[in-house]
Amino acid sequence: MKKTIMNALIATVLSATMIQSPAQAALNNNEFKIGISQEFETLNPIIFTMVASVYMYGLVGRSLVALDANGKWVPQLAKSIPTLENGGAKLVTVKGKKTVQATWEILEKAKWGDGQPVVCDDFKLAREIAESPNVSVGAKETFTQVDTIEWDAKNPKKCTFTYDKARWNFNQIGQFYAVPRHLEEAVFKKWKDKKEGYETNSNYAKNPTMEGLYNGPYKIQEVKLGSHLTFVPNPHFYGPAPQIKKIVIKLFPNTATLEANLRSGTIDSISSLGFTMDQALAFEKKVKSESLPYSVEFKPSLTYEHIDLNLENPILKDVRVRKALVYSINREDMVKALFDGKQPVALHNLATIDPWFTSDPKKITVYSFSKREASKLLDEAGWKMGPDGVRMKDGKKLSLTFMTTAGNKIRETVQTFLQNNWKAVGIEVVIKNEPARVFFGETMKKRKYGAMGMYAWMSAPESDLKPSFHSSQIPSAKNGWSGQNQMAWSNPKVDEICEKMETEFDLKKRIALAQEFLKLYTDEVPVIPLYYRSDIAVSPLALKNFRLPGHQYSETNEAETWTVQ
Amino acid sequence: MTTYILRRLIQTVIVILLLSYFCFYVMTLMPGDPVELMIQSNPKITSEDVARLRTLYGLDQPAYKRYLNWAGSITQGDLGYSRTYRVPVSELIGPKLINTFILSMASLGLALLIAVPLGVYSALRAGSKIDYAVNFFAFAGISVPSFWLGIVLIILFAVWLPLFPAGGTFTIGVEGSILDRVKYLVLPTLSLAYLQIGTFVRYTRSSMMEAMRNDYIRTAKAKGLSRREVIWKHGFRNALLPLITIATLSLSGIFSGALITETVFAYQGVGKLVYDSIISNDFNVAMVSFIISVTMVLTMNLLADILYGFADPRISFK
Repeated sequence: MKKTIMNALIATVLSATMIQSPAQAALNNNEFKIGISQEFETLNPIIFTMVASVYMYGLVGRSLVALDANGKWVPQLAKSIPTLENGGAKLVTVKGKKTVQATWEILEKAKWGDGQPVVCDDFKLAREIAESPNVSVGAKETFTQVDTIEWDAKNPKKCTFTYDKARWNFNQIGQFYAVPRHLEEAVFKKWKDKKEGYETNSNYAKNPTMEGLYNGPYKIQEVKLGSHLTFVPNPHFYGPAPQIKKIVIKLFPNTATLEANLRSGTIDSISSLGFTMDQALAFEKKVKSESLPYSVEFKPSLTYEHIDLNLENPILKDVRVRKALVYSINREDMVKALFDGKQPVALHNLATIDPWFTSDPKKITVYSFSKREASKLLDEAGWKMGPDGVRMKDGKKLSLTFMTTAGNKIRETVQTFLQNNWKAVGIEVVIKNEPARVFFGETMKKRKYGAMGMYAWMSAPESDLKPSFHSSQIPSAKNGWSGQNQMAWSNPKVDEICEKMETEFDLKKRIALAQEFLKLYTDEVPVIPLYYRSDIAVSPLALKNFRLPGHQYSETNEAETWTVQ
Repeated sequence: MTTYILRRLIQTVIVILLLSYFCFYVMTLMPGDPVELMIQSNPKITSEDVARLRTLYGLDQPAYKRYLNWAGSITQGDLGYSRTYRVPVSELIGPKLINTFILSMASLGLALLIAVPLGVYSALRAGSKIDYAVNFFAFAGISVPSFWLGIVLIILFAVWLPLFPAGGTFTIGVEGSILDRVKYLVLPTLSLAYLQIGTFVRYTRSSMMEAMRNDYIRTAKAKGLSRREVIWKHGFRNALLPLITIATLSLSGIFSGALITETVFAYQGVGKLVYDSIISNDFNVAMVSFIISVTMVLTMNLLADILYGFADPRISFK
């Protein structure tokens, strides 16, 4: 009797749970579940800073322009991109200041999710909010680069943007998002005088499912911070109607459980904010060996992993030592051995997608692995091989500290690989890692990293070189440790190039300037470029039109074209 | 007893005040701040932006001023605003606290339900095969890393045998269903409970063995009391004291102790929130979590002291 009751109980539990098991659900356009491993915040486009929020905003919000998956600027809410060449923009003088004025015409069909039209005034409000001292906008200049926004009352969709100065990249304003004045103006007016009052009380924080807040292909149906977001099509979207009827983005803070959740059907795909490189490589092997219905995609991105060299270190002041450091490492072998060749070797700070990129050895110095060349340079610099295999000069060992973020498995493996390479030419490298918070918050910020600090920079095509390489950006106590030139690279020619580039409108001349900079960068070796990180995503084979962009505008910018077949 | 409880409550409030300032101050000494994190995710942030944001967040003020501002808001019922998630702390932390409470109580209940009888049984049959088996089971529970156990449970019961969901708190769209919540609770509860069972079994076994060696047990047996009465009325009651300590201390840690389990199972609890808030210098969230933790520890200690009196009449509250 007892046995019968037990069997019945087990059978009931099994049937109850298995019927509802997500693994049984067939993949179709009704619902598509994506796993991410990074936290997200509320989706106020003026305020958010988290990468995962930018990823999600791609589903619900669009800007005037964006970079597509091929790295080309394309109009989104705008009818076309104004340039000096097409007459959409012109150089003008306003109050004695030379600047640029551009006409942005918003698509007639561009509407907020509640059917209200997207108009110039929505961009103007975004700028007003960003300018408020009580709102915690990250990069304020993204919005305040536009001095004034004007329009004719008869056509509220044709906006004249007058910029703060003559910027060549005036039309690359993909992160200048609009906010709906008809919903947000009242909140801003009420709370603008209180510190952080607007962001706390904004509809994006209080009523995030309000459909009028979004103008993208989807609107938000449900928000659970720290858990998931659910998106459903926005019937007022200006573009083609999205094929997938419901997208769920679900957070899994532990990347090790992403695969199990994918295989159990809890999620259908893993976003570019999911797997680490080693997990992706291991999963790709399983996909092949077990013929799993997934595609693991790798796309080299603009994020480049590199080693900052502290130019104030007495040993590293000698450029011959810096060059020897690059010659003696076999980066090609490293990316093959550690990343299956999925993350390409970086020649410098610019990625292949960047119009300024060059690999031409006539224009830059290319360092191929050569122990002989490295040894020759070290000999010339007076570092002679000692009896214990470490080079010596004036009784001192050629010993350098090498720091990075502790606990980052990939970085620690790279460190060991490089340490062995350097040991082979008589350079002793002492690894000293710290938790990310200490490494970035104290050590790198205050340039206390001794000799070498390894980390990554996120970038954008045609990115301003000034914050990382201009001598005014060397962090010091005087400037409150701000600036990103942590190598302390001070070269008047580089400063001049950085300044010239800010106002150079001619693309060819800009490319020439950038390549002049790259020549100095590769000649003087303030940084050892290692590799470009790849964006990684796992998508089911049934998902079509999914493209990884490899830049700051995520794959969700094309979500309306995704379809399950 | 009332005077004793009142005195302890006043002490608790003073300790909370002192510790809250100490923790606030220590947090300010940690390298990096919320602005640093923003710089890492947005290379376009300029040095002017950094200075502006530090002023806006009050990070340019001395620690004591920032503490007084925070404490002032707390006394007015304003828990502040999470700079990481950009929502009020009360909205963020409330539902997660409830989730963690449910998970922790379920696992603690299950652990006690299994561990106490096992520990007593094992103590009464010390040296037997069953005792060895129980000890093996208990030591495994103590030794197994929680993240490993979590992943094994996911692979076994979500991937190979798809009985339960691999992660989450509820099925999206069916938030109100109790049955659905139970389904998502099973694996994290099992994972968390197994880790506690080992400890509880060992404590119960050793204190029970010690209790059963006492003279009063021999006297009780000599008086002709039944075996059940001897074990539960005389032996187990005296073995309760260490178990009360360990169980109440487990209760005090329920809001911070499930971090790994919650992370592995993507369970929407407060453990990971607390960890992230400290790492990302989200002061308001971290401080509220801290106050809750300290209050729990102090309250549970008080509860343990009161329970000692009930378990052992020799203990007085003077």
